Amino acid sequence: MRARRLRDRCFWGLGALALMLIVAPALSVLISVFHQAAPSLGWSLLTKATNGAGGGLRNAMLGTLLLLLGVLVVAGTIGVAAGIYLAEMAGPRVGGVLRFFSEVLAGMPSIVIGYVGYVSLVVEFHWGYSLLAGVLALSVLVLPYVVRTTEVALRQVPTALSEASAALGVSRGRTVARILLPTAIPGIASGLIVALAISTGETAPLLFTAGFLDGHNPSLSLFHHQVPYLTYVTFTDTSLPGRSAHQLAAAAGAMTLAILVVLIVLGRIVAGRARRQTDRMSL
Amino acid sequence: MKRPIALALVSTSALAVAACGGSSSSTPTTASAPGGTVASASTPAGSGGASLNTGNPSSPVTLNESGSSLLFPYLQVLASPLQAAYSNITLAPTAGGSGKGISDATAGTTQLGGSDAYLSPGQMAANSSLMNIPIVISSQAVDYNLAGVTTPLKLTGNVLAGMYQGKITKWNDPAIAALNPGVTLPSTTIVPVRRVDSSGDTFIFTSFLSKTNPAWSSGPGFGTTVTWPAASGELTANGNPGMVQTCKATPGCIAYIGISSQAAAQSAGLGEAMLQNQAGQYVTPTQANVTSAVNSGVSSVPANLAAPLIYEPGATSYPIVNFEYLVVKSTQPDANTAKAIRTFLAFAIDPSTGSTSANLAKEQFVALPSSVIPKVQAAIAKIGP
Amino acid sequence: MIRTSGGDRSAKLVLSAAAMIPAAALGFVVFEMVKEAYPAIVFNGARFFTTKTFTIGNLYGTGVEVRHGYKAAQGATFGILPLVFGTLVSSLIALVLAVPVSVLGAILLVERIPRRLQAPLGVFLELLAGVPSVVFGLWGVYTFGPFVARDLYRYISDLHIPWLTGAVGSGQGLLTSSLVLAIMVVPIVAATTRELIHSVPVLTKEGATALGLTPLESVRVVTIPFIRTGIIAAALLGWGRALGETIAVLLISGNFLNAYPKSIFSSFSTMASTIAALLDGALTDATGMAVHALAELGLVLLVITLLTNLAGRLVARRLRGPGLPVGRGV
Repeated sequence: MRARRLRDRCFWGLGALALMLIVAPALSVLISVFHQAAPSLGWSLLTKATNGAGGGLRNAMLGTLLLLLGVLVVAGTIGVAAGIYLAEMAGPRVGGVLRFFSEVLAGMPSIVIGYVGYVSLVVEFHWGYSLLAGVLALSVLVLPYVVRTTEVALRQVPTALSEASAALGVSRGRTVARILLPTAIPGIASGLIVALAISTGETAPLLFTAGFLDGHNPSLSLFHHQVPYLTYVTFTDTSLPGRSAHQLAAAAGAMTLAILVVLIVLGRIVAGRARRQTDRMSL
Repeated sequence: MKRPIALALVSTSALAVAACGGSSSSTPTTASAPGGTVASASTPAGSGGASLNTGNPSSPVTLNESGSSLLFPYLQVLASPLQAAYSNITLAPTAGGSGKGISDATAGTTQLGGSDAYLSPGQMAANSSLMNIPIVISSQAVDYNLAGVTTPLKLTGNVLAGMYQGKITKWNDPAIAALNPGVTLPSTTIVPVRRVDSSGDTFIFTSFLSKTNPAWSSGPGFGTTVTWPAASGELTANGNPGMVQTCKATPGCIAYIGISSQAAAQSAGLGEAMLQNQAGQYVTPTQANVTSAVNSGVSSVPANLAAPLIYEPGATSYPIVNFEYLVVKSTQPDANTAKAIRTFLAFAIDPSTGSTSANLAKEQFVALPSSVIPKVQAAIAKIGP
Repeated sequence: MIRTSGGDRSAKLVLSAAAMIPAAALGFVVFEMVKEAYPAIVFNGARFFTTKTFTIGNLYGTGVEVRHGYKAAQGATFGILPLVFGTLVSSLIALVLAVPVSVLGAILLVERIPRRLQAPLGVFLELLAGVPSVVFGLWGVYTFGPFVARDLYRYISDLHIPWLTGAVGSGQGLLTSSLVLAIMVVPIVAATTRELIHSVPVLTKEGATALGLTPLESVRVVTIPFIRTGIIAAALLGWGRALGETIAVLLISGNFLNAYPKSIFSSFSTMASTIAALLDGALTDATGMAVHALAELGLVLLVITLLTNLAGRLVARRLRGPGLPVGRGV
């Protein structure tokens, strides 16, 4: 018995060590990024544009938000529509095939998407480095997540609801639009938030599609205008000499993390609401 | 220790240049020889503008540039005076390496591609509308990180090739000691640093090695990316600034660094090597030494402006000198863009507007020699819709 | 039974079109990659997989290499062995370190950490999953790399095991990259394990306790068998992420091509980071072969990654309950 207890202790000791090994690097990343960024954190980051290895992050911040908006529109619309189809309309065989391809797409390395975006959208279609090329590259990357979460959210709506609706003679389309979709909205929203979180942190697919624009705000035009974004600043300024460049790199990293925290908190709130909603429905 | 000295050097040369610029561009002194030579012979902005059809475009044009990390800071310097002179032209430069400059300009994703290397014959054949427009002259320093060594080390292309081939591995190697009698060399391991991105700096550095070391010439050769021999412990870096950063962090490093990053290199405490030129003399990349290299090499500049200025003859010629190019398509989508590009390029090569001695001194560049300017203007004139 | 209207039919048409888009996008990406890679596949033949040197050749040379009717720059040769090696070894080291740590950590988190602390730790895991790879790169260059070179190096090289000792430099290299990849894989495996443990039937657990098993024995007998398949699936997904990681590795690998790393501290390179590093230069090759060769490299990476990912998802499909939540972090 004592040996068993001892083994038990050892196991939990190892577990504690493992948890520490998980938590310590994460803390180190957060602390060192914010520490390195500290001297440059201030309003001037938001009021000044990048200027080579210095300046602020106004343009990069705006560009990132613009890209996120684009992803929300493109991947959001397509992904939610595809999710509705898969959950409510597709037969098992068609649905299975489409779901399979979507899952395969989820495993695509992001640099491959960047490469294809470059050779097709940027060069072959003559869009140049542009907002649309960047948005499409990111959208392809996150589309599978939106599709999947939408489908799952719709499937979690209790069948009693749609059966009741059908029994009242409401058409299938109206049932989906008026009953199922509103119920599933929190679940769908949390999927969109995940998509935005992934988009915020990506660099590789954007390097060859969005380009970068130093010193100027992004243009709203879809084609031929390069887009500044935060992860580019971190990527480039990390390998520049001089403290100001490293500070800016870290500040851009900190800004990305801040956006991420906002998205995670938002996701938690939405997910909580989603859970309450399903609980209420199943009563 | 080194920082104040470097600062003092920079500030005195800036003062000297500023003084010359202030007096008059037609009375060259020794310190501003390049600027002076050009100014005395080239056409003033007004008349040049007329023949090239330059001026403020009728609607705003943003000229996107990407490429050479050596040229990048200079273009940043030019951006605001350009906009002040021509309110409808915005110059938006980004770095990324000469390879990116050439490929972006070729693909048409940017209007201008900055490159330290001229286009290869293959590229020119494949893209007949691409042109090399030199706007300024640059040079490249060879730097090292050796804490105890205060006298500038003397190096030859042959010895540098040995280091990058992994044949010379210690700083106290007899081959290095022989060039530096009286200098106490540490036994530190040599760490060669090279560019990871496709780079014009790699192009001119490997050109120098190819001209001075037969094995290098028949082996790796020269190019914006080459097959580097395996040298133990070698490191790679991104862009000129990355070279400074990596070398600073690595005792025993050797690195080739574009002149516009040399101030950063010196304030990072890196030593600058004296390189042996074709005449056997050891020289540093001062404006005067760069100018004499240009003067030796300039007679052979062809109409397409693709000319190396490497290992030129002359006792005071610095051996690693190059034109900084902007790669441009002669056919532009519309007349307005074409006009903006012509205007910017004419502005950039004009010593009274773009290549003023003050602007040049900021990046330690040298203006184009007067004999080349007409050829460049002829090329600029070809840019149209 | 269920009424459909004209509006329904057109809505269904639009929605089904949207549902085709992920498959169409996948088809487009694969088609473009194969099209771009084709000349290189013909030019390289088997050499691509059997040689060690990857060089786009001398673009300023006078000659060209011609093979099977396709041209490349003088001296160009494309062999990817060291890149495949670097990709597999770095990602496998990452996996071997990350999986036990994440599983152990997750078990502790669920079984032993008070409920009050679980939520913040969960947020923490989510945040760790979301840290952009470029931020890991920044951290690797300035904080973690120097730590590896200064501190970790001493302990590891003191072991005097041949492949575990060698020149360390500024900390960029195989070990640093593998460790950072491990940190990136941890949240994927840990989050999934946590979900899985929550899904272990409470009754079975209570039964184990009633039988007088210690918590460890209960974990071994009840929890682990129940979640094993899920962990394998999560590990395969994490592997996929490590294989395809680009930016962080680009910043901290040292980008060494054309030879195998001499030790775990050596510079090296992976397939994904090499594509990013060489693409700009490759685009200046007038013969176009350099870009095609990178496409072929991308295609190989694509196949490897998709296989691991598919394997993960096939394993996951055998599970009931909530499928897999994650694939690309977050």
